[in-house]
Amino acid sequence: MKRAERAMTAWELRRLESAPKSKLRRAARRAAALLPAILAGAMIAEYKLVPAFPKYASNPIAYPISNMYVYFAAAFGAALLAWFAVSLVSRRAHEKLLLKTPLYCVLIILLIAYDLMTLKTGKLKMPYFPWADRILLAIYEDRLMLLDCISHSLVLLFSGYLIGGAAGLVTGVAAGWSRRVSYWVMPLIRLLGPIPSTTWISIILVVASSLFGGSVFMIALGVWYPVTMAALSGVGNAQRGNFEAARTFGLGSARLVFKVAVPAAMPSIFNGLTQGMSVACTALMVAEMLGVESGLGWYINWQRGWAEFARMYAAVIVICLTFTAVNFALTLARRRVLRYQEDWK
Amino acid sequence: MSAAVELKNVGKIFARADLNGTMAALEDVNLSVEPGAFVSLLGASGCGKSTLLRIIAGLETPTFGEAICGGEPIRGTDPRRGLVFQEHTLFAWLTVRGNIKFALKGTKKYKSERSEIDGWLELAGLAEFADSYPHQLSGGMRQRAALVRALAVSPDVLLLDEPLGALDSFTRMTLQDELARLWRERHSTMIMVTHDVDEAIYLSQRIIVMSARPGRVREILNVPMSYPRNRASDDFTELRGKILKSMDFAGDIQQDYAI
Repeated sequence: MKRAERAMTAWELRRLESAPKSKLRRAARRAAALLPAILAGAMIAEYKLVPAFPKYASNPIAYPISNMYVYFAAAFGAALLAWFAVSLVSRRAHEKLLLKTPLYCVLIILLIAYDLMTLKTGKLKMPYFPWADRILLAIYEDRLMLLDCISHSLVLLFSGYLIGGAAGLVTGVAAGWSRRVSYWVMPLIRLLGPIPSTTWISIILVVASSLFGGSVFMIALGVWYPVTMAALSGVGNAQRGNFEAARTFGLGSARLVFKVAVPAAMPSIFNGLTQGMSVACTALMVAEMLGVESGLGWYINWQRGWAEFARMYAAVIVICLTFTAVNFALTLARRRVLRYQEDWK
Repeated sequence: MSAAVELKNVGKIFARADLNGTMAALEDVNLSVEPGAFVSLLGASGCGKSTLLRIIAGLETPTFGEAICGGEPIRGTDPRRGLVFQEHTLFAWLTVRGNIKFALKGTKKYKSERSEIDGWLELAGLAEFADSYPHQLSGGMRQRAALVRALAVSPDVLLLDEPLGALDSFTRMTLQDELARLWRERHSTMIMVTHDVDEAIYLSQRIIVMSARPGRVREILNVPMSYPRNRASDDFTELRGKILKSMDFAGDIQQDYAI
């Protein structure tokens, strides 16, 4: 299917079909698309021109105020201007920008309001409400350490996820295919499945020879259950006609499993993999807060010890971005493998 | 290439889990199909015609009697007995071309000749849709793809289980013509299960009318018309009347009197 067809949702199609005909309205819509960029400029203006709360302004060592916020706003504004420039030539870019305009405007207004309430008037008190610039500064100052933490976390996450996912696939497909395997595996699933993998923490801490190994085990166990269930039901729900047709083409049992059962179960398996990712991320954070030596969860804990709220929030933002990227990668993989399906969003 | 199919005193009993008993799906069926013939199994639901077809395919084993194809007893499925169902045979995750390739690879007839697959796509009128996935095709196209996939491995016998049942009547009539054409070109034995009387008369040389509970052969009728047949001809109508009467769906022709 062409990408252009897939990218437009029904909502966007309706907007397109109800597009205004008069020149004035079209000009007004173009101007509206410029609004977020203008507001980004207002962000900078507000930051620089409105004076800071006297308590903060008078003590730059305890309350550092930098230009990180300005750079961030400038980068955002520049990206919006670039998008606007492209939208002058590309119809699709224009429609997409117009779609996102209200969202970005509200976002910027909220940021401006937050800045006014924290840095400029001190209504939301430190240390619980650091102003945006402080958080950005925290990310910048600790960027190398944060990068290190990200890589440690991802290594732990994917080690556990891949092991648990592979094990889940094998048990699930085998149990779905063979009644004999199912006889032995189902009790295991019923027993271990509902127990959250984080329950095993105390035991793992004592028994595991390395914290990394123990954490990987915990994550893998958490991922194993949803993937097994999904693979099992996926194989069970495969159309009988598919197997019968494949048998007439001379496929034996072994090839039937790999060439028919597994592909037929793929949509269900991907549901399980997505669920498993969510469990893995949770288990990761818990595992890291227990005593691994690096990683984003460990970083938050460490900063909590210093009561560095700005750095803690910074870490939360970094975690959000990291896991968004991970889930996006999973979505891309899913879209590629399941490209034969209709309209998966 | 084609083969003869013979069924001798075939009976099939299914176990019924709900009644903790058994049910006779087929009883004492005797059938003989010559090589290259086009034969229809006609009957209402529950008369065992699909079960009979599955026994010939090798998907079910007969409880009594024997099933023979090409001189050999039927034991399990075989590429020489191709199968086309009503639905759900095409692999959803493969393109049309991929589906045909799958069949050819499975039977080890695949010579990595793209042109061979292209030939089959041409025959089915699906050349433009070679790289489309089944969900992007209409019902008629999907059945055409399933047909051509079964034919690609050159089966001796082609078994069709209500292949056009899920389609609207216009598509059905078009595909009936295609089926007839493919049969005349390939000369494989065709055994088709249908519940549509017109379809059976239009396509087959012999119609085996079955009755239900238990499934038995009620009557075997010859269709001595030449191809291509005319659905509106008198012979056609007469035969239809005969079949419907035999199945108790039509009464004697009454004269209306106006006094």
